[in-house]
Amino acid sequence: MIRGGLIVIELVSLVVLLAKMVIVILVLLMLPIPLTWLERKIAGHIQQRLGPMRVGWHGLLQPLADGIKLLTKEDHIPDEADRLLFTLAPIITLVATFALFVVIPIGDPIQLFGQEITLYLADMNVALLYVLAVSGIHVFAVIIGGWASNSKYAVLGSLRTCAQMISYEIPMGFAVVGVVMLAHSMSLVSIVNSQADVWNIVYQPLGFFVFFIASLAEAQRIPFDLAEAEGDLGAGYHTEYSGMRFSLFMISEYLIVIFLAALNVILFFGGWNDFLVPLPSILWFVLKVGFFVWLFMWFRFTFPRYRYDQLMSIGWKVLLPLSLANILVSGLILS
Amino acid sequence: MSKTLNVKPMELVSGWIGWIFFRDLVGGLSLTLSYMFSKTVTEQYPDKEKWVPYPRYRGHHFLNTNEEGDVNCVACELCAKICPCDCIEVVPYEDEKGNRRPKVFDINLGRCLFCGLCEDACPADAIKLGQLYEFSSETSQALNVGRDALMGMPRKAEEGGKVYDAEFSLLEGVSVNISADNKSHDWWKKIRRG
Repeated sequence: MIRGGLIVIELVSLVVLLAKMVIVILVLLMLPIPLTWLERKIAGHIQQRLGPMRVGWHGLLQPLADGIKLLTKEDHIPDEADRLLFTLAPIITLVATFALFVVIPIGDPIQLFGQEITLYLADMNVALLYVLAVSGIHVFAVIIGGWASNSKYAVLGSLRTCAQMISYEIPMGFAVVGVVMLAHSMSLVSIVNSQADVWNIVYQPLGFFVFFIASLAEAQRIPFDLAEAEGDLGAGYHTEYSGMRFSLFMISEYLIVIFLAALNVILFFGGWNDFLVPLPSILWFVLKVGFFVWLFMWFRFTFPRYRYDQLMSIGWKVLLPLSLANILVSGLILS
Repeated sequence: MSKTLNVKPMELVSGWIGWIFFRDLVGGLSLTLSYMFSKTVTEQYPDKEKWVPYPRYRGHHFLNTNEEGDVNCVACELCAKICPCDCIEVVPYEDEKGNRRPKVFDINLGRCLFCGLCEDACPADAIKLGQLYEFSSETSQALNVGRDALMGMPRKAEEGGKVYDAEFSLLEGVSVNISADNKSHDWWKKIRRG
Protein backbone atom coordinates (compact mmCIF):
# COMPACT_ATOMS: atom_id res chain seq x y z
CA MET A 1 0.00 0.00 0.00
CA ILE A 2 2.73 2.44 1.01
CA ARG A 3 4.82 1.34 -1.94
CA GLY A 4 1.88 1.97 -4.27
CA GLY A 5 1.49 5.49 -2.87
CA LEU A 6 5.17 6.14 -3.42
CA ILE A 7 4.91 5.02 -7.03
CA VAL A 8 1.99 7.36 -7.60
CA ILE A 9 3.96 10.28 -6.13
CA GLU A 10 6.93 9.37 -8.32
CA LEU A 11 4.67 9.17 -11.36
CA VAL A 12 3.07 12.55 -10.64
CA SER A 13 6.44 14.24 -10.23
CA LEU A 14 7.62 12.64 -13.47
CA VAL A 15 4.56 13.92 -15.34
CA VAL A 16 5.07 17.39 -13.87
CA LEU A 17 8.71 17.35 -14.93
CA LEU A 18 7.83 16.26 -18.47
CA ALA A 19 5.14 18.93 -18.72
CA LYS A 20 7.59 21.57 -17.55
CA MET A 21 10.15 20.38 -20.12
CA VAL A 22 7.63 20.60 -22.94
CA ILE A 23 6.53 24.06 -21.84
CA VAL A 24 10.12 25.31 -21.54
CA ILE A 25 11.04 23.99 -24.99
CA LEU A 26 7.93 25.48 -26.60
CA VAL A 27 8.41 28.85 -24.93
CA LEU A 28 12.09 28.93 -25.89
CA LEU A 29 11.29 28.11 -29.51
CA MET A 30 8.63 30.84 -29.56
CA LEU A 31 10.66 33.55 -27.81
CA PRO A 32 12.85 34.62 -30.76
CA ILE A 33 9.67 35.50 -32.71
CA PRO A 34 8.69 38.54 -30.62
CA LEU A 35 12.35 39.36 -30.02
CA THR A 36 13.23 39.83 -33.69
CA TRP A 37 10.21 42.09 -34.03
CA LEU A 38 11.21 44.00 -30.91
CA GLU A 39 14.79 44.37 -32.08
CA ARG A 40 13.74 45.78 -35.44
CA LYS A 41 11.24 48.11 -33.82
CA ILE A 42 13.78 49.41 -31.30
CA ALA A 43 16.36 49.82 -34.07
CA GLY A 44 13.81 51.75 -36.10
CA HIS A 45 12.71 54.10 -33.37
CA ILE A 46 16.26 54.82 -32.24
CA GLN A 47 16.95 55.88 -35.83
CA GLN A 48 13.63 57.78 -36.03
CA ARG A 49 12.17 55.16 -38.35
CA LEU A 50 9.06 53.07 -37.78
CA GLY A 51 10.51 49.62 -38.36
CA PRO A 52 8.27 46.88 -39.79
CA MET A 53 4.73 48.18 -40.37
CA ARG A 54 3.20 46.24 -43.24
CA VAL A 55 2.59 42.66 -42.04
CA GLY A 56 0.00 42.66 -39.28
CA TRP A 57 -0.66 45.39 -36.74
CA HIS A 58 2.53 47.47 -36.55
CA GLY A 59 4.37 44.63 -38.28
CA LEU A 60 3.67 42.12 -35.50
CA LEU A 61 3.41 39.24 -37.96
CA GLN A 62 6.68 40.16 -39.67
CA PRO A 63 8.69 37.45 -37.82
CA LEU A 64 6.22 34.84 -39.12
CA ALA A 65 6.70 36.09 -42.65
CA ASP A 66 10.46 35.93 -42.13
CA GLY A 67 10.13 32.42 -40.73
CA ILE A 68 8.16 31.25 -43.75
CA LYS A 69 10.78 32.81 -45.99
CA LEU A 70 13.64 31.06 -44.18
CA LEU A 71 11.80 27.72 -44.18
CA THR A 72 11.08 27.81 -47.90
CA LYS A 73 14.58 28.88 -48.90
CA GLU A 74 16.91 26.45 -50.56
CA ASP A 75 18.84 24.46 -47.98
CA HIS A 76 22.24 25.02 -49.47
CA ILE A 77 25.38 23.14 -48.48
CA PRO A 78 28.55 24.39 -50.16
CA ASP A 79 30.29 21.96 -52.48
CA GLU A 80 33.57 21.92 -50.55
CA ALA A 81 31.95 21.78 -47.13
CA ASP A 82 32.23 18.89 -44.71
CA ARG A 83 28.63 17.75 -44.94
CA LEU A 84 28.39 15.93 -41.63
CA LEU A 85 29.92 18.68 -39.52
CA PHE A 86 28.10 21.34 -41.50
CA THR A 87 24.73 19.83 -40.64
CA LEU A 88 25.80 19.02 -37.09
CA ALA A 89 26.93 22.52 -36.04
CA PRO A 90 23.53 24.27 -35.90
CA ILE A 91 22.08 21.36 -33.92
CA ILE A 92 24.95 21.49 -31.42
CA THR A 93 24.49 25.21 -30.86
CA LEU A 94 20.76 24.80 -30.32
CA VAL A 95 21.19 21.87 -27.93
CA ALA A 96 23.88 23.70 -25.97
CA THR A 97 21.65 26.74 -25.68
CA PHE A 98 18.62 24.74 -24.57
CA ALA A 99 20.74 22.91 -22.01
CA LEU A 100 21.56 26.25 -20.40
CA PHE A 101 17.93 26.86 -19.53
CA VAL A 102 17.68 23.67 -17.47
CA VAL A 103 18.94 25.47 -14.37
CA ILE A 104 17.35 28.89 -14.85
CA PRO A 105 14.68 29.41 -12.15
CA ILE A 106 11.98 31.92 -13.02
CA GLY A 107 9.96 32.37 -9.84
CA ASP A 108 8.74 31.18 -6.46
CA PRO A 109 7.06 27.75 -6.39
CA ILE A 110 3.35 27.91 -7.29
CA GLN A 111 0.42 25.77 -6.15
CA LEU A 112 -1.41 23.94 -8.92
CA PHE A 113 -4.00 21.14 -8.40
CA GLY A 114 -2.79 20.74 -4.82
CA GLN A 115 0.75 20.17 -6.02
CA GLU A 116 3.65 22.46 -5.27
CA ILE A 117 5.31 23.13 -8.61
CA THR A 118 8.79 24.59 -8.68
CA LEU A 119 9.53 26.96 -11.54
CA TYR A 120 12.75 25.37 -12.72
CA LEU A 121 13.71 22.09 -14.30
CA ALA A 122 16.58 21.33 -11.96
CA ASP A 123 18.00 22.98 -8.87
CA MET A 124 21.60 21.82 -8.99
CA ASN A 125 23.89 22.75 -6.15
CA VAL A 126 26.55 23.59 -8.74
CA ALA A 127 24.20 25.38 -11.13
CA LEU A 128 26.54 28.31 -11.63
CA LEU A 129 29.41 26.02 -12.51
CA TYR A 130 27.11 24.10 -14.87
CA VAL A 131 26.06 27.34 -16.58
CA LEU A 132 29.64 28.51 -17.11
CA ALA A 133 30.67 25.09 -18.38
CA VAL A 134 27.75 24.51 -20.73
CA SER A 135 27.99 27.97 -22.22
CA GLY A 136 31.46 26.85 -23.30
CA ILE A 137 29.94 24.13 -25.51
CA HIS A 138 28.68 26.88 -27.77
CA VAL A 139 32.30 27.48 -28.80
CA PHE A 140 32.42 23.98 -30.27
CA ALA A 141 29.40 24.63 -32.45
CA VAL A 142 30.93 27.85 -33.67
CA ILE A 143 34.31 26.37 -34.48
CA ILE A 144 32.76 23.28 -36.13
CA GLY A 145 30.39 25.45 -38.19
CA GLY A 146 33.19 27.76 -39.28
CA TRP A 147 35.57 24.93 -40.10
CA ALA A 148 33.02 22.81 -41.94
CA SER A 149 31.95 25.69 -44.17
CA ASN A 150 35.40 25.70 -45.78
CA SER A 151 35.29 29.43 -46.33
CA LYS A 152 37.83 32.01 -45.27
CA TYR A 153 35.24 34.35 -43.76
CA ALA A 154 33.61 31.58 -41.78
CA VAL A 155 36.92 30.31 -40.42
CA LEU A 156 38.10 33.80 -39.50
CA GLY A 157 34.77 34.51 -37.84
CA SER A 158 34.80 31.30 -35.87
CA LEU A 159 38.41 31.87 -34.76
CA ARG A 160 37.49 35.34 -33.57
CA THR A 161 34.43 34.03 -31.78
CA CYS A 162 36.44 31.36 -29.98
CA ALA A 163 39.18 33.75 -28.91
CA GLN A 164 36.61 36.26 -27.74
CA MET A 165 34.45 33.79 -25.83
CA ILE A 166 37.36 32.11 -24.13
CA SER A 167 38.93 35.37 -23.03
CA TYR A 168 35.66 36.77 -21.74
CA GLU A 169 34.60 33.62 -19.94
CA ILE A 170 37.49 34.08 -17.52
CA PRO A 171 36.48 37.51 -16.16
CA MET A 172 32.88 36.30 -16.23
CA GLY A 173 33.76 33.33 -14.06
CA PHE A 174 35.73 35.49 -11.64
CA ALA A 175 32.96 38.09 -11.48
CA VAL A 176 30.43 35.58 -10.17
CA VAL A 177 32.78 34.43 -7.39
CA GLY A 178 31.76 37.46 -5.33
CA VAL A 179 28.13 36.46 -5.66
CA VAL A 180 28.91 32.92 -4.59
CA MET A 181 30.79 34.24 -1.56
CA LEU A 182 27.75 36.29 -0.54
CA ALA A 183 25.21 33.52 -1.05
CA HIS A 184 27.39 30.66 0.30
CA SER A 185 25.96 28.59 -2.54
CA MET A 186 26.26 27.98 -6.24
CA SER A 187 22.63 27.05 -6.68
CA LEU A 188 20.79 29.78 -8.56
CA VAL A 189 17.66 29.34 -6.43
CA SER A 190 19.52 29.92 -3.17
CA ILE A 191 21.43 32.82 -4.75
CA VAL A 192 18.11 34.49 -5.51
CA ASN A 193 16.71 33.67 -2.07
CA SER A 194 19.79 35.18 -0.42
CA GLN A 195 18.93 38.49 -2.11
CA ALA A 196 15.50 38.79 -0.49
CA ASP A 197 16.52 41.87 1.50
CA VAL A 198 19.29 43.53 -0.49
CA TRP A 199 20.14 42.84 -4.09
CA ASN A 200 23.69 41.87 -4.93
CA ILE A 201 24.15 44.95 -7.10
CA VAL A 202 24.50 46.95 -3.86
CA TYR A 203 27.36 44.80 -2.55
CA GLN A 204 28.88 43.89 -5.91
CA PRO A 205 28.69 46.89 -8.26
CA LEU A 206 32.13 46.13 -9.68
CA GLY A 207 31.25 42.47 -10.10
CA PHE A 208 28.10 43.45 -11.95
CA PHE A 209 30.02 45.84 -14.17
CA VAL A 210 32.51 43.15 -15.17
CA PHE A 211 29.79 40.52 -15.57
CA PHE A 212 27.59 42.77 -17.67
CA ILE A 213 30.37 43.70 -20.08
CA ALA A 214 31.52 40.09 -20.28
CA SER A 215 27.96 39.00 -21.01
CA LEU A 216 27.71 41.56 -23.81
CA ALA A 217 30.84 39.96 -25.24
CA GLU A 218 29.50 36.43 -24.66
CA ALA A 219 26.31 37.28 -26.50
CA GLN A 220 28.49 38.69 -29.29
CA ARG A 221 26.50 41.83 -29.55
CA ILE A 222 27.69 45.31 -30.37
CA PRO A 223 30.09 46.70 -29.17
CA PHE A 224 31.69 43.23 -29.12
CA ASP A 225 30.27 41.67 -32.28
CA LEU A 226 33.69 41.28 -33.90
CA ALA A 227 32.84 37.69 -34.77
CA GLU A 228 30.17 38.65 -37.22
CA ALA A 229 31.39 42.07 -38.23
CA GLU A 230 29.39 42.50 -41.42
CA GLY A 231 31.86 45.03 -42.77
CA ASP A 232 34.93 42.83 -42.76
CA LEU A 233 33.76 39.21 -42.44
CA GLY A 234 30.50 38.75 -44.28
CA ALA A 235 28.61 37.27 -41.39
CA GLY A 236 31.24 35.42 -39.40
CA TYR A 237 30.94 31.70 -38.74
CA HIS A 238 27.50 31.38 -40.32
CA THR A 239 28.43 33.08 -43.60
CA GLU A 240 27.76 29.92 -45.61
CA TYR A 241 24.57 28.95 -43.83
CA SER A 242 21.16 29.63 -45.28
CA GLY A 243 17.54 28.77 -44.76
CA MET A 244 16.61 26.60 -41.80
CA ARG A 245 20.15 26.01 -40.57
CA PHE A 246 20.81 29.73 -40.48
CA SER A 247 17.63 30.29 -38.54
CA LEU A 248 18.78 27.71 -35.95
CA PHE A 249 21.88 29.83 -35.39
CA MET A 250 19.73 32.94 -35.11
CA ILE A 251 17.37 31.28 -32.61
CA SER A 252 20.28 30.23 -30.43
CA GLU A 253 21.75 33.72 -30.63
CA TYR A 254 18.52 35.26 -29.34
CA LEU A 255 18.18 32.59 -26.67
CA ILE A 256 21.69 33.35 -25.45
CA VAL A 257 20.72 37.00 -25.15
CA ILE A 258 17.72 36.02 -23.02
CA PHE A 259 19.83 33.62 -21.01
CA LEU A 260 22.48 36.23 -20.23
CA ALA A 261 19.81 38.79 -19.35
CA ALA A 262 18.26 36.22 -16.99
CA LEU A 263 21.64 35.45 -15.47
CA ASN A 264 22.33 39.14 -14.88
CA VAL A 265 18.97 39.43 -13.14
CA ILE A 266 19.42 36.28 -11.04
CA LEU A 267 22.96 37.05 -9.93
CA PHE A 268 22.82 40.79 -9.37
CA PHE A 269 19.27 42.13 -9.55
CA GLY A 270 17.53 39.92 -7.03
CA GLY A 271 15.91 37.45 -9.43
CA TRP A 272 12.17 37.49 -8.82
CA ASN A 273 12.39 39.42 -5.53
CA ASP A 274 10.02 42.37 -5.77
CA PHE A 275 11.01 45.98 -5.30
CA LEU A 276 8.46 48.53 -3.99
CA VAL A 277 5.60 47.07 -6.05
CA PRO A 278 4.41 43.61 -4.99
CA LEU A 279 3.70 41.72 -8.22
CA PRO A 280 3.66 37.96 -8.88
CA SER A 281 7.23 36.69 -8.78
CA ILE A 282 7.21 35.46 -12.39
CA LEU A 283 6.05 38.87 -13.59
CA TRP A 284 8.85 40.62 -11.73
CA PHE A 285 11.37 38.23 -13.23
CA VAL A 286 10.03 38.67 -16.75
CA LEU A 287 10.02 42.45 -16.37
CA LYS A 288 13.61 42.52 -15.19
CA VAL A 289 14.79 40.17 -17.93
CA GLY A 290 12.88 42.22 -20.49
CA PHE A 291 14.61 45.34 -19.24
CA PHE A 292 18.00 43.72 -19.71
CA VAL A 293 17.13 42.47 -23.19
CA TRP A 294 16.08 45.99 -24.07
CA LEU A 295 19.33 47.30 -22.58
CA PHE A 296 21.30 44.94 -24.86
CA MET A 297 19.37 46.21 -27.88
CA TRP A 298 19.76 49.83 -26.80
CA PHE A 299 23.53 49.31 -26.57
CA ARG A 300 23.55 47.66 -29.95
CA PHE A 301 22.06 50.63 -31.71
CA THR A 302 24.15 53.21 -29.86
CA PHE A 303 27.75 52.08 -29.96
CA PRO A 304 30.15 51.26 -32.76
CA ARG A 305 32.15 48.07 -32.46
CA TYR A 306 35.59 47.82 -30.90
CA ARG A 307 38.70 46.97 -32.83
CA TYR A 308 39.94 43.42 -32.33
CA ASP A 309 43.02 44.38 -30.30
CA GLN A 310 40.90 46.71 -28.18
CA LEU A 311 38.52 43.83 -27.52
CA MET A 312 41.37 41.64 -26.34
CA SER A 313 42.98 44.32 -24.19
CA ILE A 314 39.64 45.17 -22.54
CA GLY A 315 39.17 41.52 -21.68
CA TRP A 316 42.65 40.73 -20.40
CA LYS A 317 43.98 44.06 -19.16
CA VAL A 318 40.86 45.67 -17.70
CA LEU A 319 38.14 43.15 -16.88
CA LEU A 320 40.39 40.37 -15.56
CA PRO A 321 42.28 42.58 -13.03
CA LEU A 322 39.02 44.26 -12.04
CA SER A 323 37.30 40.94 -11.39
CA LEU A 324 40.31 39.69 -9.38
CA ALA A 325 40.33 42.90 -7.35
CA ASN A 326 36.61 42.44 -6.76
CA ILE A 327 37.19 38.97 -5.31
CA LEU A 328 40.00 40.27 -3.13
CA VAL A 329 38.02 43.21 -1.75
CA SER A 330 34.84 41.20 -1.15
CA GLY A 331 36.88 38.49 0.56
CA LEU A 332 38.55 41.05 2.85
CA ILE A 333 35.23 42.67 3.75
CA LEU A 334 33.41 39.39 4.30
CA SER A 335 36.13 38.00 6.55
CA MET B 1 53.56 68.31 -21.16
CA SER B 2 52.91 72.01 -21.59
CA LYS B 3 49.37 71.13 -22.66
CA THR B 4 48.79 69.30 -19.38
CA LEU B 5 50.16 72.23 -17.37
CA ASN B 6 47.82 74.68 -19.04
CA VAL B 7 44.74 72.67 -18.00
CA LYS B 8 43.32 73.72 -14.65
CA PRO B 9 43.53 70.96 -12.03
CA MET B 10 39.78 70.94 -11.42
CA GLU B 11 39.11 70.40 -15.12
CA LEU B 12 41.61 67.55 -15.11
CA VAL B 13 39.92 65.95 -12.11
CA SER B 14 36.44 66.31 -13.57
CA GLY B 15 37.75 64.90 -16.84
CA TRP B 16 39.07 61.85 -15.00
CA ILE B 17 35.81 61.43 -13.09
CA GLY B 18 33.94 61.61 -16.39
CA TRP B 19 36.29 59.01 -17.86
CA ILE B 20 35.78 56.65 -14.94
CA PHE B 21 31.98 56.88 -15.16
CA PHE B 22 31.95 56.64 -18.97
CA ARG B 23 30.62 60.12 -19.59
CA ASP B 24 30.97 59.71 -23.37
CA LEU B 25 29.16 56.38 -23.44
CA VAL B 26 26.37 57.71 -21.21
CA GLY B 27 26.07 60.75 -23.48
CA GLY B 28 25.61 58.50 -26.50
CA LEU B 29 23.08 56.33 -24.70
CA SER B 30 20.99 59.31 -23.57
CA LEU B 31 20.99 60.69 -27.11
CA THR B 32 19.69 57.43 -28.60
CA LEU B 33 17.15 57.17 -25.78
CA SER B 34 15.79 60.62 -26.58
CA TYR B 35 15.61 59.67 -30.26
CA MET B 36 13.78 56.48 -29.37
CA PHE B 37 10.93 58.41 -27.79
CA SER B 38 10.83 61.18 -30.37
CA LYS B 39 8.54 61.29 -33.39
CA THR B 40 9.52 59.20 -36.39
CA VAL B 41 10.09 60.83 -39.75
CA THR B 42 9.03 57.84 -41.84
CA GLU B 43 6.59 58.64 -44.62
CA GLN B 44 4.31 55.64 -44.97
CA TYR B 45 4.16 55.62 -48.75
CA PRO B 46 2.32 53.88 -50.36
CA ASP B 47 0.29 52.41 -47.51
CA LYS B 48 -1.02 55.43 -45.68
CA GLU B 49 0.63 58.62 -46.87
CA LYS B 50 1.67 60.24 -50.09
CA TRP B 51 3.95 63.14 -50.86
CA VAL B 52 2.41 65.74 -53.15
CA PRO B 53 5.26 67.78 -54.60
CA TYR B 54 5.47 71.55 -54.79
CA PRO B 55 3.84 73.22 -57.84
CA ARG B 56 7.32 73.97 -59.19
CA TYR B 57 7.96 70.20 -59.42
CA ARG B 58 8.73 68.84 -62.89
CA GLY B 59 6.79 65.63 -63.32
CA HIS B 60 4.63 64.17 -66.08
CA HIS B 61 3.93 66.62 -68.96
CA PHE B 62 0.49 67.92 -69.85
CA LEU B 63 -0.86 70.10 -72.68
CA ASN B 64 -2.99 73.10 -71.68
CA THR B 65 -6.28 73.62 -73.47
CA ASN B 66 -8.26 76.79 -74.14
CA GLU B 67 -11.93 77.54 -73.37
CA GLU B 68 -13.13 75.83 -76.55
CA GLY B 69 -11.38 72.64 -75.55
CA ASP B 70 -8.72 72.99 -78.23
CA VAL B 71 -5.10 72.45 -77.37
CA ASN B 72 -3.07 75.63 -76.83
CA CYS B 73 -0.19 74.27 -78.83
CA VAL B 74 0.49 75.98 -82.17
CA ALA B 75 2.86 73.23 -83.30
CA CYS B 76 5.80 75.60 -83.62
CA GLU B 77 8.09 72.71 -82.68
CA LEU B 78 10.27 74.90 -80.45
CA CYS B 79 9.98 72.34 -77.68
CA ALA B 80 11.12 69.59 -80.02
CA LYS B 81 14.06 71.78 -81.10
CA ILE B 82 15.22 72.68 -77.60
CA CYS B 83 14.73 69.22 -76.12
CA PRO B 84 18.24 68.02 -75.18
CA CYS B 85 17.31 64.36 -75.49
CA ASP B 86 15.23 64.67 -78.60
CA CYS B 87 12.19 63.01 -77.13
CA ILE B 88 9.39 65.25 -78.48
CA GLU B 89 7.92 64.68 -81.91
CA VAL B 90 5.46 67.26 -83.31
CA VAL B 91 3.66 67.05 -86.69
CA PRO B 92 1.59 70.16 -87.50
CA TYR B 93 -1.70 70.36 -89.43
CA GLU B 94 -4.45 72.89 -90.07
CA ASP B 95 -7.67 72.15 -88.19
CA GLU B 96 -11.22 72.99 -89.33
CA LYS B 97 -11.04 76.47 -87.71
CA GLY B 98 -7.95 77.27 -89.71
CA ASN B 99 -5.51 77.18 -86.80
CA ARG B 100 -2.13 75.53 -86.82
CA ARG B 101 -2.34 72.67 -84.32
CA PRO B 102 -0.32 69.49 -83.71
CA LYS B 103 -1.60 66.40 -85.46
CA VAL B 104 0.96 64.34 -83.60
CA PHE B 105 2.48 65.35 -80.26
CA ASP B 106 4.44 62.41 -78.88
CA ILE B 107 6.70 62.53 -75.86
CA ASN B 108 8.96 59.59 -75.13
CA LEU B 109 9.08 59.69 -71.34
CA GLY B 110 11.68 56.93 -71.35
CA ARG B 111 14.16 59.40 -72.86
CA CYS B 112 12.92 62.57 -71.18
CA LEU B 113 15.15 64.00 -68.45
CA PHE B 114 12.48 66.37 -67.06
CA CYS B 115 14.64 69.47 -67.47
CA GLY B 116 11.64 71.68 -68.21
CA LEU B 117 13.25 73.45 -71.20
CA CYS B 118 10.19 72.67 -73.35
CA GLU B 119 8.07 74.49 -70.82
CA ASP B 120 10.37 77.52 -71.00
CA ALA B 121 10.54 77.52 -74.78
CA CYS B 122 6.79 77.25 -75.37
CA PRO B 123 5.33 80.56 -76.69
CA ALA B 124 1.70 79.45 -76.35
CA ASP B 125 1.63 78.31 -72.70
CA ALA B 126 0.80 74.83 -73.91
CA ILE B 127 3.29 72.27 -72.63
CA LYS B 128 3.81 72.14 -68.89
CA LEU B 129 5.38 69.73 -66.44
CA GLY B 130 2.93 68.70 -63.72
CA GLN B 131 3.17 67.16 -60.27
CA LEU B 132 2.41 63.57 -61.28
CA TYR B 133 5.32 61.26 -60.61
CA GLU B 134 3.76 57.79 -60.54
CA PHE B 135 3.90 56.67 -64.16
CA SER B 136 6.27 53.75 -64.18
CA SER B 137 5.25 50.97 -66.52
CA GLU B 138 6.23 47.46 -67.48
CA THR B 139 6.69 48.22 -71.19
CA SER B 140 8.62 51.00 -72.86
CA GLN B 141 5.75 51.46 -75.34
CA ALA B 142 3.57 52.73 -72.50
CA LEU B 143 6.05 55.56 -71.96
CA ASN B 144 5.31 56.98 -75.44
CA VAL B 145 2.56 59.44 -74.58
CA GLY B 146 0.45 60.96 -77.36
CA ARG B 147 -1.38 64.27 -77.78
CA ASP B 148 -4.78 63.28 -76.42
CA ALA B 149 -3.27 61.57 -73.39
CA LEU B 150 -1.21 64.67 -72.65
CA MET B 151 -4.33 66.86 -72.87
CA GLY B 152 -6.05 64.59 -70.37
CA MET B 153 -3.24 64.63 -67.80
CA PRO B 154 -3.91 66.33 -64.43
CA ARG B 155 -3.02 70.02 -64.26
CA LYS B 156 -0.88 71.61 -61.59
CA ALA B 157 -2.45 71.70 -58.14
CA GLU B 158 -2.76 74.98 -56.26
CA GLU B 159 -0.57 73.80 -53.43
CA GLY B 160 1.90 71.07 -52.72
CA GLY B 161 4.90 70.21 -50.63
CA LYS B 162 2.83 68.30 -48.11
CA VAL B 163 2.20 64.73 -47.05
CA TYR B 164 -1.42 63.74 -47.64
CA ASP B 165 -3.31 60.82 -46.14
CA ALA B 166 -3.60 58.25 -48.90
CA GLU B 167 -4.91 54.80 -49.68
CA PHE B 168 -3.05 52.06 -51.43
CA SER B 169 -5.18 50.22 -53.95
CA LEU B 170 -4.58 47.22 -56.17
CA LEU B 171 -8.08 47.28 -57.70
CA GLU B 172 -7.25 48.90 -61.04
CA GLY B 173 -3.55 48.40 -61.45
CA VAL B 174 -1.41 49.79 -58.64
CA SER B 175 -2.44 53.19 -57.42
CA VAL B 176 -2.00 55.42 -54.41
CA ASN B 177 -4.93 57.78 -54.04
CA ILE B 178 -5.24 60.71 -51.71
CA SER B 179 -8.00 59.79 -49.28
CA ALA B 180 -11.34 61.56 -49.19
CA ASP B 181 -10.75 63.60 -46.04
CA ASN B 182 -7.89 65.37 -47.88
CA LYS B 183 -5.90 65.75 -44.67
CA SER B 184 -2.29 66.79 -44.96
CA HIS B 185 0.63 67.75 -42.80
CA ASP B 186 3.94 69.49 -43.21
CA TRP B 187 6.58 66.77 -43.17
CA TRP B 188 9.39 69.17 -42.32
CA LYS B 189 7.83 69.94 -38.94
CA LYS B 190 8.85 66.47 -37.73
CA ILE B 191 12.51 66.96 -38.53
CA ARG B 192 14.70 67.49 -35.50
CA ARG B 193 17.28 70.17 -35.88
CA GLY B 194 20.29 70.81 -33.69
